[in-house]
Amino acid sequence: MNAAIAGLGMTELGKVYGRSPRRLAADAVRLAAADAGLALTELDGLLVSHGLGGSPGIELADTLGLRDLRLLTQMNSFGATAGAMVSYAAASVLSGAATTVACVFSDAPLKPEQSAGSAYHRDAREWYGFGGMTAALGLRSVNAFYALAAQRHMARYGTTSEQLGAIAVSTRQWAARNPLAQMREPITLADHQASRWVAEPLHLLDCCLVSNGAIAVIVTSADRAADLARPPVHVWGWGQGHPGHRKERGSEFGLTTGAAVSGPVAMKMAGITPADVDVCQLYDCYTYTVLVSLEDYGFCAKGEGGAFAESGALAPGGALPTNTGGGQLSGYYMWGMTPLSEAVIQARGDGGERQAPANDVILVSGNGGILDHHSTLIVSPHRKGA
Amino acid sequence: MATDTPAPTGIGVLRRDFRTDPFFDGAAADRLVIRRCADCDLWLAPDATCCPGCGSEEPGWADAAGDATLVTWTVVHGRPAEDGTVPPPAVLALVELTEGPWLHTRLVGVERAALREGLPLTAVFEHPGEGESYLLFRPA
Repeated sequence: MNAAIAGLGMTELGKVYGRSPRRLAADAVRLAAADAGLALTELDGLLVSHGLGGSPGIELADTLGLRDLRLLTQMNSFGATAGAMVSYAAASVLSGAATTVACVFSDAPLKPEQSAGSAYHRDAREWYGFGGMTAALGLRSVNAFYALAAQRHMARYGTTSEQLGAIAVSTRQWAARNPLAQMREPITLADHQASRWVAEPLHLLDCCLVSNGAIAVIVTSADRAADLARPPVHVWGWGQGHPGHRKERGSEFGLTTGAAVSGPVAMKMAGITPADVDVCQLYDCYTYTVLVSLEDYGFCAKGEGGAFAESGALAPGGALPTNTGGGQLSGYYMWGMTPLSEAVIQARGDGGERQAPANDVILVSGNGGILDHHSTLIVSPHRKGA
Repeated sequence: MATDTPAPTGIGVLRRDFRTDPFFDGAAADRLVIRRCADCDLWLAPDATCCPGCGSEEPGWADAAGDATLVTWTVVHGRPAEDGTVPPPAVLALVELTEGPWLHTRLVGVERAALREGLPLTAVFEHPGEGESYLLFRPA
């Protein structure tokens, strides 16, 4: 017996203005329930998460008119939350604590007349204390911290900007085939290299988009899912890894991620090895995040993520189709719901022009903070052990 | 450890909070003051909130040598101002003090071609007209 994802709801994504995070979240839950062929009254669990644009709050339950819930909470492990929500929902279903759980993420950091980057950038004239000192000296955006991580990997293993660019290019190739993607114009490696620096060694085309919108999934038992409207997406395994990178001599910051822990845990639960994975949906806040995650999951050796990306394995026609919807780099940025939503689409065989040739085992990752938090899901169109 | 290089542009005004007095008092006198748990013989970053050895929530303070090596870096290009002028790029870094702790900081007086893992560095202090002193690092 396993849990399964029975519904997927996605609002309009991108420059979607005029709707609050709660309204967006409510819309996504309604869409997910309708997708599954469920009435809202059949939900008995709701897990809520959010980005930087404000929380829908657990008041979302009231907005949706949900009554007598058995499970209701807000969860946050940043970009790892989507995987954490699905695993909590699955465990709740398997334990009998709840039967039908909606998991939703919403965000609305973009405002009209404001650049996308400013949503993730701090600015002030005066700064306070130790935290302020780091920002005052110039480390004011998430981009700069990921740049430090990427640069360390490059210095240690010889990873190159062109190898990061290969990920930007292959991800855009997938996005070109996805009508839901925000950036579909093909790009070349030369375009990547010519794009402006955001924080060296990261070019603009190494960085994800910023999007408004909401995505929800509905988790229930495999048996129940089989009777609902859409093909079940079975949840075979899950895991989390929170390395707590130390800021002192010997730290692995920039070299490894929590995937080194969450991956083996999830794969053991699913009864698979990396060689069994047909498709990857990896959290790609930056090209570098994909590269280092591939290593930590064991798809290539530590330090060889660059060569692996450059080999074409991730692209359409490659050996390990990765981020088949265009990911966060080119598709849409709904934190961990970006890889999860595309995994559901691929597992259902709904990928259209971008459908991967094999979809029996799909790995989904989430990554939060500055490589501080990681989650993994293994999903499949087939029942576990079938 | 004072420096005669011009103060880098684009640094904000620094203010104390209730945890920072020993650090900024030291910086004003060109001394790098960080946390040190004498009981455990452990050096900690100035923002450490407890000693990982004994759990003490008030590890002491002590002078660090001011020597460090470069762990990793990024060159950040500022946003153009309203008048269109673009600030010069800043080299931001993680450095490892000789004593072990890492600090996020900013490098001065370094050529981009010289940036490498392990580059020896020395602490320098800037004393702006307003606000607390800046701790920066330059090649040793």
